[in-house]
Amino acid sequence: MVDYRPHERKLILKVVFYGPALSGKTTNLMQLHNLLKPQRKGELMVLETRDDRTLFFDLLPIGLRGEQGLDLRLKIYTVPGQVQHDSTRKAVLSRADGVIFVADSQPLQQDNNANAFENLAENLTKLGMTIEQLPLVIQFNKRDLEGAVAESELRMRWRETPWAPLCMASALNGHGVVESFRALLERLYPQLNHEFHLHSNEGISAEHFIRQLSAVAGEDHA
Amino acid sequence: MRSFEDDPKLLDMLSPERLKRLLSLIETLSSHSLRLEEKYLKEAEPVEFNLECLAWLHCPGRPDVQQAAARLLEFILMYVGKYRLAANMHHDTTRASYAELERQNIALQVSEARFRLLSEELQTRVDAQVKIIEKTQRQLYESARLRAVGQLAAGVAHEINNPVGFISSNLRVASDYLNEISEKLPDDKNTHLMLEDFRALLSESVSGARRIATIVTDLKTFSNIDQADFTPCSLNALLGTTCHLLQAEHKATLPLRMELTELSPLAGYPAKLSQAFYNILDNAVKALEKEGGEIRIISRQHQATQEIIIEDNGCGIPQDVQACVFDPFFTTRPVGAGSGLGLTVARDVIAAHEGEIQLDSQEGQGTRITLRFWNK
Ligand SMILES: Nc1nc2c(ncn2[C@@H]2O[C@H](COP(=O)(O)OP(=O)(O)OP(=O)(O)O)[C@@H](O)[C@H]2O)c(=O)[nH]1
Ligand SMILES: [Mg+2]
Repeated sequence: MVDYRPHERKLILKVVFYGPALSGKTTNLMQLHNLLKPQRKGELMVLETRDDRTLFFDLLPIGLRGEQGLDLRLKIYTVPGQVQHDSTRKAVLSRADGVIFVADSQPLQQDNNANAFENLAENLTKLGMTIEQLPLVIQFNKRDLEGAVAESELRMRWRETPWAPLCMASALNGHGVVESFRALLERLYPQLNHEFHLHSNEGISAEHFIRQLSAVAGEDHA
Repeated sequence: MRSFEDDPKLLDMLSPERLKRLLSLIETLSSHSLRLEEKYLKEAEPVEFNLECLAWLHCPGRPDVQQAAARLLEFILMYVGKYRLAANMHHDTTRASYAELERQNIALQVSEARFRLLSEELQTRVDAQVKIIEKTQRQLYESARLRAVGQLAAGVAHEINNPVGFISSNLRVASDYLNEISEKLPDDKNTHLMLEDFRALLSESVSGARRIATIVTDLKTFSNIDQADFTPCSLNALLGTTCHLLQAEHKATLPLRMELTELSPLAGYPAKLSQAFYNILDNAVKALEKEGGEIRIISRQHQATQEIIIEDNGCGIPQDVQACVFDPFFTTRPVGAGSGLGLTVARDVIAAHEGEIQLDSQEGQGTRITLRFWNK
């Protein structure tokens, strides 16, 4: 989205959790809401659900203030993973600045992962974006489950793609969630800095950007 | 364009009346008066939604009340905002789906138009092909028919030519002999009468033989089917030979009445013209079923045109049938009695001479066919 309004000195970014149904997107966002202690954090909005499955989207806004007074906000969304909600998925994905793709580690879900990934690429194309140019992190979730596809195998498979290294997570237990989020911030920052000169004009370095937005309890983010 | 996720303003979320009511409820509960402004107020508490500052709430002298009231407002606005976000998203996706449907609809219409065009094109091509087939068939029929008639005519002409030749010359010799014989006969009244009669008989026979010779020449003209170029023709003569031929084919004396006036020669295909006359006359003969029927054949010379009228007082052609009498394969006669090509061939022949053919008919009264040719 990069919604930059110079007169208000406001920069609004959009990050989207994408992936097949039930892979743990909402769980990731809820954990981020619990774990993160960013400079600014809004309410977690879980919109309509049915049997715990997202019908519209979930939204968590977080933000920071730059030294020069820039009001930088990150709106983190989840899409509904169920196949039939594609138009909603496309609307949420529209103007995204970064995507975290939450894949399911269970062997039987590999086809669904592939279909959802293809759907992501398709929708990006329809929205005038390309998957190669978008900051994108692939997370394999539910690592805690027995019988999950071996990590070494997954890493091997993705080794040659632009999206290596993968993130491993167990969102239910809060493992790997913040790490995945940080990985995305790392890929997002260079593009933003290039466009808005965050470092030189706003005094927001990469480190500052990542630390302020993904601080967790016990960490100091001054 | 606003999208579902654009940050709303305070008044997007609650109308001024509701806002006023809400505020007065909080005032009653807290027993303090509050001020709510969209613009910054000094010492006021911000009211946020999704990190966006929507308004400033001020309760003079009571920061604790001010803060609690702001949080309560935020709490309520959160649910209002949730509903709004969902509703906006629903609206956006519905519009997007509708736009997509419209796009598909347009694409469908385009392809439908393309198919309609294609089918129209196909139809015209089929029509054109049918025309070509009809024309070829007509030409085939015409040439086969002409060839058959031509062969018959040529055969007859050939067979008759010799005997007529010697009959003519024998008759001439016979006349000479008669002159010689008459000098040797008694000079009485009875003999004179007899000789007179004899001479008349011979001269009638001579003129009969001459007429036969003319018919043979006509037949030769008629049978001259492969003549490629226009030659000067006498329509009257062609009508005459065609009538003879018709009589021969019907093996009967037909009630034909000729009312011919002299015509200037017309450049044309004699064999084809004869064929056209034959077809029209043949139809006329077939239309005469009752006693007392008659066919009138009239020729007229005008300033610019010459006209042939072939008229019968036979059964006539019903109104609805008249429109299609020139259609190939149309025939009112029982199947097998004719191919139906007769009048079509006639029309084509006349058209080839840049003439016109006109049909006037009344059921039960008769039919008149008028052929009009332009003098050149
Ligand atoms: N075992 C295990 N279960 C998980 C994990 N993460 C999520 N789940 C479970 O998976 C189910 C689906 O999680 P959600 O977060 O609602 O999935 P989602 O991707 O938001 O699903 P949709 O909204 O339908 O797209 C829930 O029952 C979660 O408890 C995990 O790391 N391990
Ligand atoms: Mg969900």
